[in-house]
Amino acid sequence: MNFVVIGLSHRTSPVELRERFAFPDGKIPDALKSLRDSGITSEAAILSTCNRVEIYAATPLAPDVAFAELKKFLVAHHAFAGALGDELYTIDEPHSLHHLFKVAAGLDSMVIGETEILGQLKSAYELALQHKHTGARLNKAFQRAFNVAKHIRTETNIQRGSVSVMSAAVELAERIFSKLADHEVLVIGAGETSEKTARALQSRGVKKITVTNRSPERAAALAAELGGRAVPFEQWPDEFERIDIAISSTAAPHHILDRAKLEPLMRRRKNRPLLLIDIAVPRDIDPAVNTLNNVYLYNVDDLQSIAADYLKLRQEEVARCEKIIAEKVAVLLATNKFSTTDGHR
Amino acid sequence: MAWFTDRHFFLLAVVFYGASSAYSVFLWRKGFRTDDRVNYFLLLAAAALHTVAMFQRGFSINQCPVNNLYEATVFIAWTIAAAYLALGIFQRLRFLGAFASHILFFIGVFALMPALDPPHAAQPDFSNGLTSLHAALVLLAIGAFGLSAVAAAMFLTEEHDLKFHKLRAVFSRLPPIQRLERVMNNLLVAGVSLLTTGLAFSPFLLKQKYGVYFKNDPLLDYSVCIWLFYLVLLVSRWKFGQGGRRFAWSALGGFVFILLTFWGFLLLSPAHRP
Repeated sequence: MNFVVIGLSHRTSPVELRERFAFPDGKIPDALKSLRDSGITSEAAILSTCNRVEIYAATPLAPDVAFAELKKFLVAHHAFAGALGDELYTIDEPHSLHHLFKVAAGLDSMVIGETEILGQLKSAYELALQHKHTGARLNKAFQRAFNVAKHIRTETNIQRGSVSVMSAAVELAERIFSKLADHEVLVIGAGETSEKTARALQSRGVKKITVTNRSPERAAALAAELGGRAVPFEQWPDEFERIDIAISSTAAPHHILDRAKLEPLMRRRKNRPLLLIDIAVPRDIDPAVNTLNNVYLYNVDDLQSIAADYLKLRQEEVARCEKIIAEKVAVLLATNKFSTTDGHR
Repeated sequence: MAWFTDRHFFLLAVVFYGASSAYSVFLWRKGFRTDDRVNYFLLLAAAALHTVAMFQRGFSINQCPVNNLYEATVFIAWTIAAAYLALGIFQRLRFLGAFASHILFFIGVFALMPALDPPHAAQPDFSNGLTSLHAALVLLAIGAFGLSAVAAAMFLTEEHDLKFHKLRAVFSRLPPIQRLERVMNNLLVAGVSLLTTGLAFSPFLLKQKYGVYFKNDPLLDYSVCIWLFYLVLLVSRWKFGQGGRRFAWSALGGFVFILLTFWGFLLLSPAHRP
């Protein structure tokens, strides 16, 4: 019995091809049943996400024969008439286990170390398990993959840090404030990036958001979407007494906040820490405000630099993760239970 | 084991504080990126030996071991170590140890100078519980100021990183600066409360020794100045928002001043001589 993988991913194929081979959730149980009924596989699970479509299977056939049959199955199931070349990859044991562990740990993802794939893999496995299409071999492989992913998450820095400007801003806020839920955010300029940053802050606990924009209608619309309140653009300096985080992204050609303007506002705030996120180009906030006590100013370049460094850090961690995976695969293969397991749960 | 005195135990504790101090430099260079359990256990081992040393000294003189400069210094260091171990249970505050270890090592080496620990007279220096309580409270207060200074050093490091956009500010696992400021504040409140209580015993002790409730004494005047300094620091933060960097520099500077001058005033004080 061989544990094999066949599929296509963001690494090998464009989205146009991936979407042709995607399996809607509702149709996966039937596809798994046909696979098993055809005798190609004795156990199988299908992972279908926007970045990959993969069949994980235990097959009684020789790998070459199994891959040819699985390819035929995929083409027939999706009524695909075009030509397929290197887009479709086939992986045999032990590399198939290595691949599964890498996918679970997010090492094969577009954004290295992302955690969403682990949830998707768990759902794919649960679905196959629920419909009794897994057996001892797949159960062992998947459960071990989830354990390895957890181990890698805790022992390495692969999932640490922010790899986008928005999440870098959130991380900075968490370095300054103990509890984001206790702090209010002011969004100056209802642009897309400021909206995303505000949403990222909301996802980490921020409850109160105030929006201001030159166009009051856009301010009101964004405030309604974020569950906050809108204030007229001329009145935003008055908000500084209450807020602790300001995200600015107006289209103003000059600084809308400078040291002279902020100094009295800081006195009114009793010098509470203030995080200023300036994502506008040209910049909205004069860099000189950063010299004020308790003011922390970050512009878009600073945030991008943090995100890029985090990505670099993750890439540096890949070698460590690969080593862990190689060890875990060797341990799994060394156990008689995996190599001799056969039959269903 | 009679040859292994309390000073030997304390010497071993100082060796562990030194190891922790050296390891802290490594943590600093690594940017405080991984959980700091090794340093915590080094300080835990040091504190255990430190506690044994203090108990052994206390049992040998049958009272609280705060009777000379060595004992006073050891007591202050113990307060800092014990308070750190309690705070260090929380993962985010564990890195305080990387800052505390240097101070503990420095205080430990200073305390080990033989001149600070003259042999006890047949009659103990202090003959009643009130004196021991007074001394213990004042030294605990200094310990609280010490740990507050450690938190201040950590605050200033992190604040500097955030201000100047150093990557360590986001890569490290240090606590948020707002939480550090709260830790500093709470430790200063504890220190001022302990010092207030400790100083409140002074008139009674002066009455016992000199028959008067008030007498000019260098260490007493010094202690009142220290008490006033920290009180003003706290009030200016609460009332006038003088928090952040200035508050941290003051907490750190205050303790450095105590470290450099306390022993001198103790030696100058007739009221604190046997």
